[in-house]
Amino acid sequence: MTYDIATWVKVSAFIGSGLSMGFGAVGAAIGEGYTAAQANAALSRNPDSAGNIFKNMLVGQAVAESAAIFALVVAMILLFTEHRAETLSVYILISAGVCMGLGAIGSGIGAGYPAGEACFGISRQPAISDQLTTTMLIGSAVTQTSAIYALVTSLILLYADFFTRPFSPTWAAVIGAGLAAGLGAIGSGIGEGFVARAGCEGVARQPLSRAPVTNGMLLGMAVAETTAIYGLLIAVILLFKTFEPATSMAPCMALVAAGLCMGLGAVGPGIGEGFTGEGAVRWMARSPNEVAILTRSMLVGQAVSESTGIYSLVIALILIFVV
Amino acid sequence: MEELGRIHQLIVPFFGHDMTFNLEVMVMTWLVISSLLLFGFLASRKRSRLPGPLQSVGELFVMHLYGLTEDALGKEKAKTYAPLICALFMFLVLSNWFGIIPNLEEPTKDLNTPLSLGLMGFVIAHYAGIKTKGVKEYVKEYFQPIFFMMPLNVIGELAKVVSISFRLFGNIMGGSIIILVVSYLTYSIIFPPLLNAFFGLFVGTIQAFVFTMLTVVYISVQVK
Amino acid sequence: MAIEGVDIIRSAAFLGAGICMGLGAIGPGVGEGMAAAKACEAIGKNPKEAGLLTRTMLVGQAVTESTGIYSLVIALLLLFVV
Repeated sequence: MTYDIATWVKVSAFIGSGLSMGFGAVGAAIGEGYTAAQANAALSRNPDSAGNIFKNMLVGQAVAESAAIFALVVAMILLFTEHRAETLSVYILISAGVCMGLGAIGSGIGAGYPAGEACFGISRQPAISDQLTTTMLIGSAVTQTSAIYALVTSLILLYADFFTRPFSPTWAAVIGAGLAAGLGAIGSGIGEGFVARAGCEGVARQPLSRAPVTNGMLLGMAVAETTAIYGLLIAVILLFKTFEPATSMAPCMALVAAGLCMGLGAVGPGIGEGFTGEGAVRWMARSPNEVAILTRSMLVGQAVSESTGIYSLVIALILIFVV
Repeated sequence: MEELGRIHQLIVPFFGHDMTFNLEVMVMTWLVISSLLLFGFLASRKRSRLPGPLQSVGELFVMHLYGLTEDALGKEKAKTYAPLICALFMFLVLSNWFGIIPNLEEPTKDLNTPLSLGLMGFVIAHYAGIKTKGVKEYVKEYFQPIFFMMPLNVIGELAKVVSISFRLFGNIMGGSIIILVVSYLTYSIIFPPLLNAFFGLFVGTIQAFVFTMLTVVYISVQVK
Repeated sequence: MAIEGVDIIRSAAFLGAGICMGLGAIGPGVGEGMAAAKACEAIGKNPKEAGLLTRTMLVGQAVTESTGIYSLVIALLLLFVV
């Protein structure tokens, strides 16, 4: 079954774009649905502030939509631009599609949480609805960073020149990079969404403690982001390191395995650190005097749950550099 | 469909390397800047107690953004940074809205514009941090909470620049690609303008606001 | 049965369209279900506001649908245009 390369490149472009938009639509829809659900609950609690709640829901859903828009952009690029007709293109295109598709899941789900909680908060405290909208925008926007890392990786895959490298390990490096950045973004997107939700809830319950709650929220989100940064790091190493041409399958599989390892390994710690941050930020609002103790225990707890993520990073680095 | 990849560029040879200028983006940016300057000049010419239309629009922007900056930074520091924030927000909103006008494009559609604005915010925030806290305290912050978190903190700071710029770039370029493809596919009159309104006006304003808010928050994190 | 190059491109396009719409239907389904569930609870708690709540639920579900529509657009593009 030998066809010319242009055929296979088109095949991979179509499958890649289908995967990208298919996976990418999952997360944002779940997040926006959660927002709409909380908005309804908020309305039943306080129908008089319907205008503010409605506006807040639409704004929050528009920010949560960004992840799906990134996936749509990558899908359209895959469908409509000309690709070079070489064997390496096949792997690049599928990898770019999978990367962006998986990367948009976590951020989509995560960005819906603070939006929903902000709508609920407006029903509790209609007077500070502007501040709640601002906190919600900060929270949702920072939650999108994991999808942005996946977008950056997809764009590098599509537009950088890999064709001057030897074919043999580069196909595996490309697939590994896509998996690392894509899977790695899932956990941290959802985790950061939990933290942002607690931040919005905190500001609604205790508007005077807005500054420590926002700072705690940003700190918790930044630590929960680290697993997605590991995924991006592995992806960038795989894409930009020069490998010697490999003659057997084993070194290639090592690179794919490195990407898979870091990608899957980043899911758990991301979500776990999100739970930790959520609990800490929720109580920072209720007892603003204890912010220092809460911050310390949040950071210690997140560092311990980071440990399996670090093990994955170490194994991935061993697979790339030593094996 | 070929417009998807084509950028008009002017390539100037410069001592052995090539300098590339993206012509459309530069012209559009200057158009936005001159409209903003014109607006500012006209709005503040005759200041009366009963404001005319231009003056009230200007007051609306300035009041809201000033309040935002004061919330985040406190009253004295807000005076230093509020003009920057106002200018940033108005530049971004006007450039995102420019895409709706038929033959014009948004300057934020090219990666250079959001990336340079992000870098500007980053440099300002860190310079403000060094000036307020002093160099030793500033460097010590990177080693919190545990000693070997330093590379992660540094990467986190760089990642902030990447995320803030790519978020704006992805949303605006994504909107324009979607509008291009949909208007290529459908022959209807209703669909493309609706999409244009959603992506250009609604998403453009929200993303401009998010970019500005995040810049203020990053400055306030460094300065406090 | 000789498989032509054009055939395999078309079959890949069909496969892509199927994956895209199939996976893309998961999200809006779950999301809109959550919105409808909370709307029902909310109407149960406050039946007087049923009109407002139903309206909000429908608007929220319409925005949630948009990602499903993106998947539909890509699937249709794969089937009929490329």
